[in-house]
Amino acid sequence: MDNKQIRYDILKELFNVSVGQAASMLSEVVKKTILLDVPKIEIIKSDKELCELQTHLPAVLDGTLMISSITFQEQLTGEANLIFPAEKMKTFINLCLNESEQEMQYSDMHFTDMDFDIIREIGNIILNAIVGGLSNQIGIQLQYTLPEVQVFDRIDFEEDIQNKEYPYFLMLYITFDIGDTEIEGAVIVNLTLTSLKELMLIVTKIEDELYG
Amino acid sequence: MKILIVDDSYFSQKTTANFIKKFLDSVDFEFAKDGKEGFEKYKQIKPDYTFVDLLMPNINGQELIKLIKTDDNDAKIIVISADVQKNIREEIEAYGVLSFINKPMNEEKARLISELIRNDVNGQ
Repeated sequence: MDNKQIRYDILKELFNVSVGQAASMLSEVVKKTILLDVPKIEIIKSDKELCELQTHLPAVLDGTLMISSITFQEQLTGEANLIFPAEKMKTFINLCLNESEQEMQYSDMHFTDMDFDIIREIGNIILNAIVGGLSNQIGIQLQYTLPEVQVFDRIDFEEDIQNKEYPYFLMLYITFDIGDTEIEGAVIVNLTLTSLKELMLIVTKIEDELYG
Repeated sequence: MKILIVDDSYFSQKTTANFIKKFLDSVDFEFAKDGKEGFEKYKQIKPDYTFVDLLMPNINGQELIKLIKTDDNDAKIIVISADVQKNIREEIEAYGVLSFINKPMNEEKARLISELIRNDVNGQ
């Protein structure tokens, strides 16, 4: 394993621990066991080309997307986005409300204020566990905003995220199996160049410590 | 003493071994990157203790525990996982594992595991 692979492995494992904590919190909300998939992570440079992000967004993230975002600053500056297909979020909202399968209106893609409130709270839980978990593990402090929830078409989202001033994305693919429902999504953490360098510096320090 | 650490993260393998080394002497560590390789190494070296991560490719941790327990019901297994859900912990503990520890590994957790192993070796 070369140094680059080791640093990638460290980063993946740091997020893995945080996703595990997020799943536990979600499991308490939906009162069901959540099965996780082996996580994957990529660092993507978002220079100019729109197709760059398209190549990396999972195919399941098509059509209408529901995106919860928080921005953070202090030792690292950036924005974390939790992305799930809106259709799956409808199912997930029903699970949160503990409604039976029969009561679920899969075809109804209208989101009420209550639905947005649930998604905002779920986004808050997951993003705080992931971003906060990472900052705890690497011993840095972050201040973050309350989450915002937006519904986008995939194309609009790709344009929106690439118009922001963060040149790097950390793309984390996550899958939650809740009962019979598989919810596949992604977390995109946009970072400034300075923050990415800072993060990789910390990861390199962790790598050095592995060898005493 | 032989300890086999099965974890798909190289970082976690090394971190766990480094922490355990601080509290236990004369340990030979072996590593495997997934459940499949883990079971092959388990059969080959018959470790005194096997540390198992749950979320792994090929054969996951739960399946690996079942395989090991089928081979030797008295096998000593310690689970080290990022999954902190109570249901998962209960399900795994039902297989008769020695302990279930949540990641991230740290000095305090390593001290507890080492103490557990020392007591187990001394038959307490």
